[in-house]
Amino acid sequence: MHLKICHLYPDLMDLYGDRGNIIALVQRCRWRGIDVEVGYVTLEQPVDFRDWDIVFMGGGSDREQGILFSDLCDRRDNLAAAIDDGLVLLGICGGLQLLGKYYQIAEGDKIPGVDILDLWTVAGDKRLIGNVCIESHFLSERAELFGSIKLETLVGFENHSGQTFLGNVEPLGKVIKGSGNNGKDGSEGVRYKNVFGTYLHGPLLPKNPHFADFLLYHAVERRWGQRHLNKLDDTLELEAHRYMANRLKQQ
Amino acid sequence: MRLVARLRFLFALWLGKFVFFAARISGKKGTTLPGALAIKLCPELITYLARQLPNGAILVTGTNGKTTTSNMLAAILKKTGAKITFNEAGANLITGITTAFLNSATWLGRIYTDMALLEVDEATVGKVAPLVKPHTMVITNFFRDQLDRYGELDKTVALVKNTVQAYLPQTKLVLNADDPLVAQIGVGREGIVYYGVAPSEYSTTESSEAREAKYCSFCRHTYEYEIYHYGQLGIYRCPNCNFRRPKPQVSAENIKIHGFKGISFGLGDMEISLRQQGFYNIYNALASVATALSMGINKDLIKDALEQFAPQAGRMEQFAYGIHEITLSLVKNPTGFNEVIRAMVHSDKQLGLLIAINDNAADGRDISWLWDVDFEKLEHKLAWVICSGIRAEDMAVRLKYAGVDPEKLITIKDLSLAFDKMLDKVEGDLGFYVLPTYTALFSMHELMSTLRRTAYAS
Repeated sequence: MHLKICHLYPDLMDLYGDRGNIIALVQRCRWRGIDVEVGYVTLEQPVDFRDWDIVFMGGGSDREQGILFSDLCDRRDNLAAAIDDGLVLLGICGGLQLLGKYYQIAEGDKIPGVDILDLWTVAGDKRLIGNVCIESHFLSERAELFGSIKLETLVGFENHSGQTFLGNVEPLGKVIKGSGNNGKDGSEGVRYKNVFGTYLHGPLLPKNPHFADFLLYHAVERRWGQRHLNKLDDTLELEAHRYMANRLKQQ
Repeated sequence: MRLVARLRFLFALWLGKFVFFAARISGKKGTTLPGALAIKLCPELITYLARQLPNGAILVTGTNGKTTTSNMLAAILKKTGAKITFNEAGANLITGITTAFLNSATWLGRIYTDMALLEVDEATVGKVAPLVKPHTMVITNFFRDQLDRYGELDKTVALVKNTVQAYLPQTKLVLNADDPLVAQIGVGREGIVYYGVAPSEYSTTESSEAREAKYCSFCRHTYEYEIYHYGQLGIYRCPNCNFRRPKPQVSAENIKIHGFKGISFGLGDMEISLRQQGFYNIYNALASVATALSMGINKDLIKDALEQFAPQAGRMEQFAYGIHEITLSLVKNPTGFNEVIRAMVHSDKQLGLLIAINDNAADGRDISWLWDVDFEKLEHKLAWVICSGIRAEDMAVRLKYAGVDPEKLITIKDLSLAFDKMLDKVEGDLGFYVLPTYTALFSMHELMSTLRRTAYAS
C-alpha cells in the first residue's frame, strides 16, 4: 500500500497550525507500516486529483484566499470528478468556504465559490471564536474496522467571521459547545461523500485520532477495498481529547 | 483647561494614585487597575500628562521583542541620567500605560519625568499613539501571535500602518529593515532609521519555518530572498515592483553565538557582547541602539548599558541548581519558540525540558500555534520532557507527533508538582530548560527564584 496525501496550497492556506493535520495522517500511517507520500501543490502546479488518496486544504486570510481563487477554479472539474469517485478531502475554514457556492461580503457582493458543495457563507459582524465540541454519530458506525474506539465527539478551536449555511448536505456534526457553522442552527461543518469540511482549525486530527483513522480508512477502502487498520496506542491523544470535551461539557 | 475638566482630571488622578497605593499595601502589583479606573473618569488623562513631557515620548511596538527592546533602551536612557515614565512591567495595554503616567505625576497633576518610553501592544497602538503623539516610534517585527485576540496578522499590520499614517506624520520611525511587513510601513516617508542584520554564518538560504509575508505588500508577487535570518526576517526583494529590503543605517555584522554565555556582534567600529542567548536578541539590541543613536546618545555609553544589561524575568534567564544551570524562557508564539529551540539545539548537550502551556486569555485561548513550532528539530535531542500547565496533554501529543518517544514524556498538569519532578530529574550533563507560556511564567519564576540566580560567566 502506498498512500498519497496532497496538501493543497500549503504556502497560502496554513493559518493556525493546519500542518498538524498532515503530520497526524503521516505519522499514523508510518506507525502502522503504511507507506505514505505527501505532495505539496500550489498555484499553477499541475495535479490530477484522481491520482491522490487524501486532499487537505487549510485556512488562510482573506487576502490569500483571494490569490488562489482563480487557480482553484481552473481545477474545479477535475476536483469534482475525483470527489465523485470517492476522493477523501478535508477542508478547514477557508478550505470549507471555497468549496461552496459563494461568499457574501459585508457590502453585499457575492464572491463565487467553486460550487462543489451545496453551502454558502455570509460575512458576519462578529468573529466566532473559542473551543468547540461537536457530536458526530457516523464516526462510531464502523469504528471496529479501523481499530478505533467508539468515540462520537470531535474537539477543536474555531475562529471565523464567515457564517456558513448548508443546503442539501449533511453537517459534520451537531454543536455541543461553541458556535459551529453560523452560531444559529447548531450545525458544524459539512459532510458530502468522502468530503469533510469544518471550522475546527489547526491540529484537529491529532487530538481526534478516531477521525484521522476514519479518513485513512476511507482512503484505503477506495483504492484497495475493505482492509482493517491496526489499532494504535492513543492514550496521549485521548487524554487531550477528553480533557477538552469534559471541560466544555462542564461549562 | 476649564475648571470642570481640570477637576475631573485631578479626581481621576487621585483615584488612580489612591488605588495604586491600596493595591501595593495589599501586596498586589497594581499595574493595570489604577489606570483602568482613571481613564474611565477622565479619558484625556494620558494626553494631559504626556504633553507636559519636556523630551516627549518614544513608543515601542511589534509582535516579539517589545519588552526586551524597551528595557534595553530604558537602560541606555537611564545611563544618560534621564528620568523616564516607563511601563516596565510589560503592562502594555492602555490601562498599564495610564498607570505608568499616574505614577510619574505629582498630586497636583504635574509630570516630573523628562520623557516617556512606552511598550505598546500592537492592537493598542491605535488608541495610545494619537493620545501620546510620540516623537519616535520603534516597530520590531510582525509574527502571528494569539490570533484569537487580534484576528489575522494582516489586520494588525494594517492597523499599525494606518495609525502611523493618520496620526503620526511627524514621528520618526525606527524600523526593522529585515522584516518586509515592518519595512513597507516606511515606503514613501522621510527620516526613517532602519536597522538590520548582515549575512552571517547562521543565515540560511532556505526557510522551513511557517513564514508570514511570502507575498509583496504592494503587488503580491512572491519575494525573493538572498538569505534568511529567521521567520520572514532576511534580505529580500520583490522581483516585480522592486520593493526591497532598505539599506539599514544600523547594521550588525560578524555575529558570534557563544552558547549559554551569550552573543556578540560588530556595529561599525564597535563590538557589543550581550549576555543574552538567542539570535533574536541581536534585533532587540539593534532596535535600542538605532533609537539611542538617532537621539544623539554617546556610543560608548550605549555599549556599556547593553553589555551590563541583565535579561528580564523569564527571557533566557539562568538559575543555578547545585552544579547545574537551568534556563527559564517565556514561549508565546511559534517564532519565539523556534528561536528558543535554535538556541537549545546550538549546544551539543541532550536536553531535559519542562514545558508549561496555559490557555488563559493572556496566553491566547488557542494553542494551535504549537503545531507551527518545529519540535521535529528536537526529536533526537531530548532525554526527557515534563509537560505541564492547563494544556499539558496537548503539548504531549504535539511532541509525540514530532517523533519523540512517548516513554520520554511525563504529563503533570500542576506547575508546582511538575517543577518538583523536574528537580528530581536534574542530573548528568544535560541542558535544562523551563519553558512556560505567559500566565505560567510568573509561577515558574517564583519557583525558580527559590534556586539561586547565577552571576553571568564573562
